[in-house]
Amino acid sequence: MTLIAPVDRLRLVTRDLDELLRQVARQDVDAFAEFYDQTRARVYGLVTRVLRDPGYSEETTQDIYLQVWRTADAYNPAAGSPMSWLMTLAHRRAVDRVRSEQAASQRESRYGVVNVEPPSDHVAESVILTDERRQVADCLGSLTDTQREAIQLAYYDGLTYVQVSERLSANLATIKSRMRDGIRGLRRCLGLS
Amino acid sequence: MTQPIDDLTGLATPYALHAMPEAERAEIDRRLAAVPPEVARAFDDEVRAVRETMAVISAATAVEPPYELRDRVLAEIAAINAGPVVPMQRKPRPWRATLLAAAAAVVIGLGALGVGLALRPAPTVSTAEQIFAAPDVRTISGDIPTGGTATVVFSREKNAGVLVMNNVAPPETGTVYQMWLINDEGPHSAGTMDAQAVAPSTTAVLPNLDGSSTLAFTIEPTGGSLMPTTEPFAALPLT
Repeated sequence: MTLIAPVDRLRLVTRDLDELLRQVARQDVDAFAEFYDQTRARVYGLVTRVLRDPGYSEETTQDIYLQVWRTADAYNPAAGSPMSWLMTLAHRRAVDRVRSEQAASQRESRYGVVNVEPPSDHVAESVILTDERRQVADCLGSLTDTQREAIQLAYYDGLTYVQVSERLSANLATIKSRMRDGIRGLRRCLGLS
Repeated sequence: MTQPIDDLTGLATPYALHAMPEAERAEIDRRLAAVPPEVARAFDDEVRAVRETMAVISAATAVEPPYELRDRVLAEIAAINAGPVVPMQRKPRPWRATLLAAAAAVVIGLGALGVGLALRPAPTVSTAEQIFAAPDVRTISGDIPTGGTATVVFSREKNAGVLVMNNVAPPETGTVYQMWLINDEGPHSAGTMDAQAVAPSTTAVLPNLDGSSTLAFTIEPTGGSLMPTTEPFAALPLT
């Protein structure tokens, strides 16, 4: 039952974001600023996680919010939550940037092995509540190592599933099912399914 | 022989995680248009479930961005909206009038002082809007060593950029900041800014990038110079 509270809180935030996004679509600058404030830590954190370079991350975050401003009217609530719309857009931009920089190998040699935990002193405590973070971290920890590794390489390192299979010397079908089962495990653990 | 539909469903998770090349993604989109609706719906449901999950997971990687980023993002949005191009379906709102007045003030300030060689102030927003809407739009930012930040949003396709300067200290009396677009042939002036032109947030359009690889800033005597006479105090790579 410990899982329920954080997820409920996220839904409340989501309802607000829905309304803000509608106002942003009508080119409301104040609503945009509020939308930025409510989501900036998640967006910047994900982008930083993928790009691993503060300068690129800031630029890409700017591009993402520019795109939010331009395309908020294309957001369709029937197709998913505002946070999912935003994070999908953010992740796509970050991955595109990584691939265009063709810097995957350099990043690894510069930063070493990746790890799911970001530095805790940079965490946005005011925006993301500690227990929600802990719950998500626990759920990531509940996956098998091979599931977590496949999701991590694809989602945070921007590798394609074919590259993941090469990296892990596993066949494509295995990699696809590790990704799928890993996400299903997360959904169950987070109480989303 | 593989079952095409099974194969398609198995790709929903990598598709949702952007874990495939653009060409494969486009191929899947084409195939989805041709399969029975229930197959396409199952694929979409899976994609949606993955995305909702990763939205929740984003709590795990949350990190506060630098505070200045907020100013830059909001300045960009203001630059888009400061122009005379008001989308027809949208009613003008009070803040828009304020921004227009602010943009007009910038024009008057620049005009009265006769500054700006190729520098054009914010109202050439049709250019700005085209840049922001360009598929190849890129943003480059850098700190000015003496304080403040410079951001260029540009598009090679549109051959133009928008410069946004935030919290940059005005130049000393008798001097201006001069912008230079540098290409293989050397520097070309992209305009000057005097103390009056440098507001807490200053926007200028850079109309002709023409293969420039760098935007550099120098301090020049009032009126600007034909070629830089001092070392650049800041430079942004346009790559």
